Amino acid sequence: MTWHLECTINDAPVTRDIPEDLTLLDFLRDHLGLTGSKGACLEGECGSCTVHLDDAPVCSCLTLAAQAHGRSVCTVEALAESTTLDPIQQAFIDTGAAQCGYCTPGLLMAGRTLLDRTAFPEANHLLTSIEGNLCRCTGYASIIEAIQIAANESKA
Amino acid sequence: MFYRPDTFAAALRLKADHAAAIKPISGGTDLVVGLNRGQSLGVDVLDLTAAKDYRRIDHADGSLILSGGTTFAQLEQLDIACLARAAASVGGPQIRNRGTIAGNLATASPAGDGSVALLALDAEVELAHADRGTRWLRLIDYFEDYRQTALGDDELISHVRIPTPSALQASAWYKIGKRGAVNISLVCAAAARFLDGRICLAFGSVAPIPMRAVQTEKLLQGQPLTGALLHQAAQAASAEVKPIDDWRASADYRKAMCAVLARRVLEQLQTDDERQMP
Repeated sequence: MTWHLECTINDAPVTRDIPEDLTLLDFLRDHLGLTGSKGACLEGECGSCTVHLDDAPVCSCLTLAAQAHGRSVCTVEALAESTTLDPIQQAFIDTGAAQCGYCTPGLLMAGRTLLDRTAFPEANHLLTSIEGNLCRCTGYASIIEAIQIAANESKA
Repeated sequence: MFYRPDTFAAALRLKADHAAAIKPISGGTDLVVGLNRGQSLGVDVLDLTAAKDYRRIDHADGSLILSGGTTFAQLEQLDIACLARAAASVGGPQIRNRGTIAGNLATASPAGDGSVALLALDAEVELAHADRGTRWLRLIDYFEDYRQTALGDDELISHVRIPTPSALQASAWYKIGKRGAVNISLVCAAAARFLDGRICLAFGSVAPIPMRAVQTEKLLQGQPLTGALLHQAAQAASAEVKPIDDWRASADYRKAMCAVLARRVLEQLQTDDERQMP
């Protein structure tokens, strides 16, 4: 069966007939070509598929696309404005926080949530903001540093 | 079919009409994991996430009434130590933003952290049917066997009732897992002391169901928590639980940890008491 999905994706209205059992991750990647969000564990442990659903970070692999009906989805593709990177993206580059890069989109979305919600994040905020994201290269030190740098820039 | 009603009443109607042929979904942290592993949903799906009246937290007569769709992210913000800490220990932020208390209770995993905290709070669960109305059950009577509960095929979990912070003297939570985040309990424990002095103690991952340690509780009623009593309670808890060996931990380890956790959560109750003294 199909579901007539109407939602907002990266500030643009989207209307599609989709299979009812399609996940939001597969909808983004396979139907819309938004391949920034990654599928890895597909069970909610790694956070590589993190997108914002009405401003809250969620695992798009565990969300049915039909559940996004009437809601607003934001993916990593929306962080940069044209060729201008979001401060958190620039900070990831500056600190070398991306190694293999697979976890990076999810970490950017998780880190962005922290910056959106917390003006002056403390060390424990930085850690808990990414506790749902797994980096198999274990480059956490530079990831934390990048989020801290982006937070400092947001304050300035 | 995929149904996405915008009120809880409409969801109840659908559940009553379709019974076992329709599965409720909220966070998808169980159902969609199966889907991603190649299992078909098999039945129609009842999406509860569009029902805005299913995410409310209300106060009434010394109780907090949580809608079933209350998320772990919402529970984290509550001023009830054991429940807030248990909620904060579930998954990562992405999971806590989606997972709900009704989902935790309906899935009825023995490792359900929310279930264990609610058991210690002696919470009640409200099961609702579109025509028959609602019935309240104590949570201790809700869990029946491994992933089996009193919830009927044609019912939904409408509310959970817990004491407000002012009706509780103290509560405590402790969880043992293999890492600090996105962590499924090897053993977890929650304890609560009520204004009448009653103490409730609950464990997760040590029995087919999230369990109340009722035998151990009997030792504790009306007694000051002396070192000797704590020791006795720890031994009783360890003897009372019925863990199994699985790939996460051995039964022996779990039994030993129940003794440790019983002591820790009970000591925490005392510490909190002292902190509240003028």
